[in-house]
Amino acid sequence: MSEEMYKKLAQAVIDGEADDAEALARQALDQGLDPLACITNGLTKGIQQVGELFASGEYYLPELIISADTMKVAMDILEPALAGGQEREVVGRVVIGTVEGDLHEIGKTLVGTMLSANGFQVTDIGVDKTAAEFIEAVKENNATIVGASALLTTTMLQQKKIIEALDEAGLKNQVKVMVGGAPVTQSYADQIGADGYAEDAISAVDIAYRLADAPA
Amino acid sequence: MIKLEERKASIKPIKSKLKISILDDQEISQINQNTRTVLEEIGVVFPSDKALKIFAEVGANVDFEKQTVKIAADLLDKYLATSPRNYTMAGARPDLDVHVGDGKGTYFYCSGESPRVVDFSTGERRLSVKEDIANHARIADYLPIISLMWPSASASDKGETSPLHGLEACFTNSEKHVESESVMDEVSARYAVEMAIAVSGSEEKLRERPVLSQLLCCIQPLAQDRGGIEAAMIFAEYGIPVGFMSMPTLGLTAPPYPAGALTIAMAETLSGIMLTQIINPGVGNYISVNPGIVDPRTGAYFMGSAVAQMTNVSGVQMAHSNGIPILACHSFGGSQYELGNWQAGYENLYSHLLGVMAGADMSFGPSGMYEAVSLLDHPRILFDREMLRVIDEITDGVDVNPKTLAFDMIKEMGHKGGYISHRETGKFYRTTWPKESILYDDGKPEGRKWRDPKDVAREAITWILENHKPEPMSESVKQELRQIVDRADKDDSIKREISGHK
Ligand code: B12
Repeated sequence: MSEEMYKKLAQAVIDGEADDAEALARQALDQGLDPLACITNGLTKGIQQVGELFASGEYYLPELIISADTMKVAMDILEPALAGGQEREVVGRVVIGTVEGDLHEIGKTLVGTMLSANGFQVTDIGVDKTAAEFIEAVKENNATIVGASALLTTTMLQQKKIIEALDEAGLKNQVKVMVGGAPVTQSYADQIGADGYAEDAISAVDIAYRLADAPA
Repeated sequence: MIKLEERKASIKPIKSKLKISILDDQEISQINQNTRTVLEEIGVVFPSDKALKIFAEVGANVDFEKQTVKIAADLLDKYLATSPRNYTMAGARPDLDVHVGDGKGTYFYCSGESPRVVDFSTGERRLSVKEDIANHARIADYLPIISLMWPSASASDKGETSPLHGLEACFTNSEKHVESESVMDEVSARYAVEMAIAVSGSEEKLRERPVLSQLLCCIQPLAQDRGGIEAAMIFAEYGIPVGFMSMPTLGLTAPPYPAGALTIAMAETLSGIMLTQIINPGVGNYISVNPGIVDPRTGAYFMGSAVAQMTNVSGVQMAHSNGIPILACHSFGGSQYELGNWQAGYENLYSHLLGVMAGADMSFGPSGMYEAVSLLDHPRILFDREMLRVIDEITDGVDVNPKTLAFDMIKEMGHKGGYISHRETGKFYRTTWPKESILYDDGKPEGRKWRDPKDVAREAITWILENHKPEPMSESVKQELRQIVDRADKDDSIKREISGHK
């Protein structure tokens, strides 16, 4: 019976049916199924398949995003039900946002979506976020990776500020920082002491994997 | 080869005999109606208390908490009525003035603010610096097809005051009209106004013939930028024209359909225009609609696509139906695609051509930009210019008159052919064969071989950079500009405005 539920959950994610996913998640809890197993064997399997469909060109971006949203709806029901000490397995916990003074959101949202679809737990804090807001989100989510996006020559300096602020808050050893955006280059990233730079969302996933493996 | 000679700057619009219209009258009025309903019922976010107060004072429906302005149609139209269909964006000399909406055709911008450049000597890609802006301004000054310019790149060596350094580099290296696309806060705007007054000679002269303008992007969907709108309010106060650009990304920040995306774009831009008209009735405005789409397989941002292009050109009719001039051309004259790529060429060609044929007042075009306006390559500007040369020719259409019907010639030559030896043919080729081109270079005396246009363009740019000296600006004005920017560099409040406003 649980096998069947896992399959249904996975399928709801693949089909992007948020209402089904929500109903199934509640049903699973009512039936006393293990929420962690529902996540790992159901939702995660589903999103992995979505990732493959996207990579092969079968799924387009709207489907990818709808599936990621669907997964989140079910996750919001299952996660609070996890037993104490139980934690779903994630590759890394990412806090991503666009820096202060900058309202460009398309790139960072895309990077966030791709990371979620690849098993990262992503908290997207939005655009125009101060270094302090990044730090707060890192603490709140116990993040392991920070992603800072900047699209303007006048705002890219904020990426450096975030790194300095992490250092000051004594968090620099706990999190890795990756940066991106039109005016950002690898050499700029090196110069400000970022741990990773990616030109697009696909390579951002590779970098994030690399940073996740790297000893904290 | 293009003619390389020492000469003063000049400007030349392209007038098209060929006309296209995408929307019919009913479609235009449906979109206008939809726009007004959106403004009335949904409204636009203006995250600036100053702006909200101004809207409230004239009777717009303002929600200060949500920072949203809802505007009734008759109120909107009352303020649009004072936005002029014709006005001047001035150069250093009256013969360099762009008279927007004068019916002389489409005036071209050299657009910019590229974050990166291809280094002209080493060929390496790197972050752009102030010197790149100065160099590109001299190139733009030399080429008549360019009538107005943005700082072509961003001064990454100058940080938060990069926008002001960009203006300085343009004013001191060109006599043409300069527009800022990056002054995005009130404090910087005041410095920019000071610079414009210095260039004009006095505030009064600036108001009469503004040598500076601003382009402000609205934030999709249905919002404005706080710092940007406060800068626009300062500019409008001094009679400096303000253009509003909307960049709806179809199916991302706007509906996926062109008509819905145009609605979003019109609501955003018209609400911005209304604000500047309340502040200074009669100040120049224009609209620009630059839609994009996302590659649904990768999320990459695309400017050159047929559907986005149609949306962009439809903007010409939408702007004109509201009595507002428009700056057209998709993609700021910068294709999505990589350097030297075939696709970049064809995308740029059709986007320029459609804008001119639709009757845009101004258009982006000869900029030298690639990769969705994020990479500047100086020689590439001559490829853009090349397309506009062809467009200039195409849009002249076909002359039909007794001479060109050529009955006498046909009769004279009868069935034997050999028109090549006819005197008229010689004359025709003399005027028609493109002499001013990098494509049909006649080579060096040693051999009339075809030469790669890339080499020809490089040579021309080298010549321009070495030889073209724009009419010098007076030393005292130069000094004044230097001092203003220097003061701005030391002014911490700019940093606070850009970041730290929270
Ligand atoms: C769309 C766009 C806008 C839209 C944004 C809409 C939105 N809701 O996001 C609007 C119209 C609002 C806008 C406004 C402005 N913009 Co703008 N904009 C662009 C444009 C054309 C595309 C950006 C985009 O979305 N690309 C698509 C996404 C998918 O790509 P991306 O953002 O680069 O992200 C990818 C990578 O960079 C990377 N990445 C990005 N972030 C991160 C983060 C991490 C951690 C990692 C690992 C990777 C990563 O992965 C992403 C996915 O592949 C760029 C030009 C360009 N090619 O970048 C100009 C550009 C960035 N804008 C520019 C300017 C000047 C402005 C304005 C100041 C204009 C004005 N006068 O109002 C305002 C500023 C508003 C503000 N306060 O932020 C300039 C910047 C110049 C400079 N050197 O500073 C550019 C370069 C265009 C130009 N040449 O003029 N803009």
